[in-house]
Amino acid sequence: MTVVGEAAGGAVAGGDVPGEAAERAAADEPADPMAGPAADHALLDAMTVGALTWIDGMRPAFRLPAAAATEADPDHALKPLGELAELTHLVRDHHPLPAARGLADGLFRFAWEQTGQGELFAELVRNEPQATYPVELYGVFARAGLHHSGTEELLAVTTSLRHWRVAREDHTRTLGVLNAEHRIGLTPHADFDAVLALTGLGRCAEPWALDRHGVYGITHDVFHVTDWGRAPHRMPTPLAEYLRLWTPAWTETWLEEKLWDLVGELLAVRACLPGAAHDAAAWQRLAGAQRADGAVPETGSVPPDDIAPEDLFLGCYHSTLVTAFAATLARTAAMPPASPAAPFRESETAL
Amino acid sequence: MAEQAQQESTSLSAVVADVATGVALALEGECGSYALSGVLAQDDAVALAAIRVLGADVLAPYALHGGAARGGADETVVRKALAAYPPRADASEVSVWTYRGLVEASRAYLPGGPGGWPPEPPAESEWVRTEPWPRLAHRASQLAALSLPGLAPGLAADLAVRTEDLARGFVRAVRRRDWLQAAGLGRWLARLPDVPETLGLDAGLRYVRRMGDSDARVTLQVTAARRFHGRGA
Amino acid sequence: MASQLTAPVGAALAAEVEDLLGSAEPEGIYRDTRECTGILLLAGLLLLSPPTPRPKSVR
Repeated sequence: MTVVGEAAGGAVAGGDVPGEAAERAAADEPADPMAGPAADHALLDAMTVGALTWIDGMRPAFRLPAAAATEADPDHALKPLGELAELTHLVRDHHPLPAARGLADGLFRFAWEQTGQGELFAELVRNEPQATYPVELYGVFARAGLHHSGTEELLAVTTSLRHWRVAREDHTRTLGVLNAEHRIGLTPHADFDAVLALTGLGRCAEPWALDRHGVYGITHDVFHVTDWGRAPHRMPTPLAEYLRLWTPAWTETWLEEKLWDLVGELLAVRACLPGAAHDAAAWQRLAGAQRADGAVPETGSVPPDDIAPEDLFLGCYHSTLVTAFAATLARTAAMPPASPAAPFRESETAL
Repeated sequence: MAEQAQQESTSLSAVVADVATGVALALEGECGSYALSGVLAQDDAVALAAIRVLGADVLAPYALHGGAARGGADETVVRKALAAYPPRADASEVSVWTYRGLVEASRAYLPGGPGGWPPEPPAESEWVRTEPWPRLAHRASQLAALSLPGLAPGLAADLAVRTEDLARGFVRAVRRRDWLQAAGLGRWLARLPDVPETLGLDAGLRYVRRMGDSDARVTLQVTAARRFHGRGA
Repeated sequence: MASQLTAPVGAALAAEVEDLLGSAEPEGIYRDTRECTGILLLAGLLLLSPPTPRPKSVR
């Protein structure tokens, strides 16, 4: 695995807080000049390519069933595809390695094909004009410059209703809907900052009061504010400070609980913060959970070899995608200013 | 013999709880009528052991209300405890520090002045600088009695450099439902400057108090935080 | 008056003292509200928790 554009480093990655420096010292890191940033990049790249390779091999599991727009359970039929699209799009546009970009690009195109070049969304909106998830899903593709005019004509009507403004989910989810509306070019139905102020992040909830669901809320607040890590500068300074303080605590506890999925999201959050201190020890521990075939289980230890493929898929696809996403953000955030920055690429080919 | 040892081992926790309760009540109260010898039902091996376990905290009411007035009874029993349980050669950091804390507190708060107490064993605090924050926090929580006024100034200064890490330790301890650890950390944080506002320390102390109210040592820690530093009221 | 510290009792008590002083951390007890597990499904679209049922993580 070649690492492109690396400066052989002796410098310790910047942005350490005292606890992290101590963590490194305590974690038996080899004291050789190629440890530090170069070794971290190699690890992150290996995790990303491994994860995407496994995901790529799982394309059949992402395929939409015939009844995707009607009877199928959207959680099983559509949610995986939406997540696939959201996260591979980011990797495609941001990762410095051609191998990673190539895998991500193929997967993203595949996802768009599965939607029938967007035809799926028109059908979803016709069947469920009140639902927000079709808007959220479609927004992922719209952001990439992929449009389906029939869908957008419908959405222009459905999202302009007074009814559309009735709060149906929690505030974190509403931020996602607003983000999607913005991506599609619709008029957002509420003020983003006003809704943000009502979320766990916006309120700066006591960090010890959050359970798993609460911390998932925080991570998603961050993703919606920063457009999944693309715009970290949008994070208001007091909230960035809140995240700087408490993300290490959450990361540690969920590492101990072996909830790799949430750990990956917290590492992604970390990479979105100004300074983006790199938590090498945490990445090592997450790497330990990744299987040889690249899959990362959602929780606990590696699933047994004789597990049924569909169970393996459901148990791993989400956390594996998150790993690739988080490692990409960490990879591009962690590069020291002196080394040549990887270009942030807009889409390589017009779709 | 073994049976007696078993009885004594279960009663150590009970005596520790009783003494902790007595100290907490004395801290709550306004007047200085506390006496350590008053909260010990008996003056036996288990009582001495309980004093050793709680360390400087057995003298906390004197630190709050002012010097001990009661004769030499408290001095006598503390001296016996120090003599009975000196730190062994292989003692843990916590054991050494808590012993030091009890000696320091005796010098500071018991009548008869600083003379005549055992020497304070050397205790190092390099670990405050080098331990990863989860281990740092756990250990600090076990040394919360050293947060009493005037004790271990060097340790407190070293911990102040890692206030954010101790706060993270508080978050972790609460998530683990380790109320005793959370209470000890909360008490340190009550004393340290520049605790992040977003931690919500006051609410956290109140929360830990309610969630951990079956443990007298938890009550002692949060009461000390409130009475000495005004946090978690 | 301190009672006679017979050797086996004294040693056991001293060991208990050291245990209480420098005890290892207890096992973590982790609880999450049951309230949201239904909501997390469809409402948790786009990365707010995967669809598979989670094992209880109390250890």
